Amino acid sequence: MSAALLSGCASSGVKNPSGVPVTEMKADERGFVAGTGVESQDLVAVTDKMARGILAVPQVANSTTEARVVLDPVVNETRFPINKDIFLTRIRTQLNSKSAGKVRFLARERMATLQNERELKRSGQVTSAADPNVVEFKGADYFLTGKLQGLSTRTTAGVSDYVLYSFQLIDARTSDIIWEDAAEIKKQGLEDAAYR
Amino acid sequence: MRGIYSLLTALAVSLLVAGCATTERTPPQRLTGNPAVDAPTLLTNGPSRDKVLLQYRTAATAMQRGQFDEAKQLLDDAILTISGIIGKDTEARKARGYFSPEARKTFIGEPYERVMAYYYRGILYWMDGEPDNARACFRSALFEDSDTLDKKYAADYVLLDYLDGLASLKLAGDGSDALKRAQSAVRISMPGSYNPNANLLVFVDFGRGPTKYAAGRHGENLMFEEHPCKIRGAQLQIAGKTYQVRAYDDLNYQATTRGGRVMDHILANKATFKDATDIGGDAAIVSGVVLAHNRDTQPFALGAIGLGIISKIASASTRAEADTRSWDNLPLYLSFAHLDVPAGEHAVTIDFLDEGNRVIAGLTKKMTIDVPPNGADKVVYVSDKSTTPQNL
Repeated sequence: MSAALLSGCASSGVKNPSGVPVTEMKADERGFVAGTGVESQDLVAVTDKMARGILAVPQVANSTTEARVVLDPVVNETRFPINKDIFLTRIRTQLNSKSAGKVRFLARERMATLQNERELKRSGQVTSAADPNVVEFKGADYFLTGKLQGLSTRTTAGVSDYVLYSFQLIDARTSDIIWEDAAEIKKQGLEDAAYR
Repeated sequence: MRGIYSLLTALAVSLLVAGCATTERTPPQRLTGNPAVDAPTLLTNGPSRDKVLLQYRTAATAMQRGQFDEAKQLLDDAILTISGIIGKDTEARKARGYFSPEARKTFIGEPYERVMAYYYRGILYWMDGEPDNARACFRSALFEDSDTLDKKYAADYVLLDYLDGLASLKLAGDGSDALKRAQSAVRISMPGSYNPNANLLVFVDFGRGPTKYAAGRHGENLMFEEHPCKIRGAQLQIAGKTYQVRAYDDLNYQATTRGGRVMDHILANKATFKDATDIGGDAAIVSGVVLAHNRDTQPFALGAIGLGIISKIASASTRAEADTRSWDNLPLYLSFAHLDVPAGEHAVTIDFLDEGNRVIAGLTKKMTIDVPPNGADKVVYVSDKSTTPQNL
């Protein structure tokens, strides 16, 4: 009887009393913390596909000169607030590492700093390895941009989110869309009844 | 007889053991009233299941005090929780069980509360010059309101659709569909057509939003308490002109037009179980007493009484009460104005008006704003509880 009473006082039912250690996951893996929104595995899958697509474009693959590309901000039309620049950043890094110099990106977002540096050189305040009065900033051959669009449904059966990721490479001279590709990801989930 | 004794022993042991159960105790919090100081204390020491609730409340206070960076961090963290799918969750499972209250689950709030988290975050995104992410927040906010029982009330926030359209217009898109949706959902004031040259966006809210209480025999019915509000609108004075700012959405209406929840059925079942075990317990005990009076049936009397007591204990342990944790510093009315003003510094005065369009004394807010020269939007948030003056 005493043993039964004492054992009844032992605390139990604390799940993971020593916590859960940090688990390192691959960026393209689906983690155990998941929602129906844009996640790292989507980013990796989409940008890998787009980078492969751009490298296979004849104007890039068969070109004897480097294709100069400017990134134009991605338009987010989904219901998910995201750092949309991350898509273009990953496509750029993929292309820079895998295009073997066929694609060059222009740092247009740094133009203010670059122009300031050029002015310093022109005014003789800093040294210059070349004539600073010659315009050497390159013009773009192509613009790379994209759009994220979504369709969402919420019913008592759960939440469903479809996101269409589309990217385009636009010829800066002619405005031709020389390449376009898209990736679609749909996710569904049902919350515990306590939240419905 | 041995069986009866065993039963009674088991009952005695279970009663004693139940007395040893530990409960989570939260130490009293010393608050300063400054969200930047209080938020870390509350979030560290408060119960983890209430984390989102604390973040909601503190973020609203931070918004009113003009501490937008603090509000941003708190809302981002709260949205991380509410935007995920809470699937297999131990606490949620226990909250559905007979012997735990609904309030045991991790708080994410009712849809109108989640809507407001996205709404405030949307304002902050727009303040940071990200109208597309602001639009995403307004869309997510509407999405939270999209699964009402009666579809007539689904996604029927006028202002959210209106802002979706305005953001689309600012992003060189077409906001006409969203404007039509906004105008078709009107209940209080009709929003006007968009001014494409507007560079000052003023978000105004006022009144006290709904809070929750539990009704019913066992508190199983979640109800919303409405708080009277004499403010009906606001007027804004800037650059020598006066503009009316009308209310578009009413959170009382939004909270009470959702229809039932799945959890309401679970709570109703709990209440039925509580009643049934209580009545069953009474019947068993009375039967036991009756049986005890007859020598032939006396051996069954203890069993019946024991079963009755167990049934009564089960009834008393059943927790059917609804979760009444509320984001209790929400506004009642949401309003908005977008204006075309010259770039530069401006003194702004906002007065709150009663039903007869008279200025209500003691609520006037004054602020100095700096409208950027490059055509970028200046976003201002004002509540009747905002600190004044503010420099934005």
